[in-house]
Amino acid sequence: MDKQEIFEKFIELIREYVKEADRLESAEMGTEIIQDLKVNSARLVDIIIKVEDTFDIEIEDDDADKIKTIGDAVEIIDSKTRVTQ
Amino acid sequence: MDPSAKRAIYIQYIVGRLTIFAAAPLVLLAIKIAGYRVKNLEAVRKKVRRLMSEYPGPWLVCANHLTLIDSVILLWAMAPVTRHIARFDQMPWNVPEHMNFNRQMLVRIACYLTKCLPIQRGGNRDAVLSILEKCAWILQQGGNLMIFPEGTRSRTGRVNTEDFPYGTGRLFLNTPGCRVMCMYLRGEGQETYTNFPAIGERFHMDVEECFPRTRLKGLRAQRDCAGQIVRHLAAMEAAYFASL
Repeated sequence: MDKQEIFEKFIELIREYVKEADRLESAEMGTEIIQDLKVNSARLVDIIIKVEDTFDIEIEDDDADKIKTIGDAVEIIDSKTRVTQ
Repeated sequence: MDPSAKRAIYIQYIVGRLTIFAAAPLVLLAIKIAGYRVKNLEAVRKKVRRLMSEYPGPWLVCANHLTLIDSVILLWAMAPVTRHIARFDQMPWNVPEHMNFNRQMLVRIACYLTKCLPIQRGGNRDAVLSILEKCAWILQQGGNLMIFPEGTRSRTGRVNTEDFPYGTGRLFLNTPGCRVMCMYLRGEGQETYTNFPAIGERFHMDVEECFPRTRLKGLRAQRDCAGQIVRHLAAMEAAYFASL
């Protein structure tokens, strides 16, 4: 799975947590999940848990703390899925 | 944690320790002027004292949240002024919202002296994580920490078991030997959240130890434990309303 596919899958995955869904239409790698998409920090944890389930990976606290933008999430998913392949 | 952050906490602790002789009576005076009373004060203090003498810490003191000065009322209700002075080390640190902390110079000073670490909820993630790191470090040193597991004042006036942050679970799980003391505080006239309780308010307060357990790991475990603590507070609330 390439990064663009991960990006698209991630956007679908976070849709239910973003209060204003139209913000996702202009989302890009640099979009901040909390600041730009108005997702609160608890829901960000829910998103990360959902990412773990969806991509069958484990994300440690330290890695989870680094996720600020969609690009950060995509990078971590990409690196973790490569390891498990 | 960054050595300068540890140093800042030590300095705050020492300044607080040196000034508690003045700060604690002034806080008590303000509470008396406002006419606040806790109806079962002696029982509350006895229970807190028993729990803290049985186990000195670290305690994660978790309370429901309805007004901006809940932590002040809780601290006063937990122990008499003399005990706050004699056992300043046991007095929990707490984490007020930065906007509330920052309103007036006097409030800022009072918060600094009474072991507050302001946090900007929903703000810069690095800043929030930095405060959580300080909280974790304080607990790991055997200090006590007061936190509001709901994250903010309840908008419905009831403990919010649906939408709460998981930081409480993280602090609990990352601190070996950490125990959880749940406190339910409610003014008898308190319908929903407000900035301050009504003048002359009489409070109901309950204290119970909560024992979160989980077989999960990582973020799921944090969510699970935070949920158990919030639901424990909700059960204390249900018991309060059932007793009316």
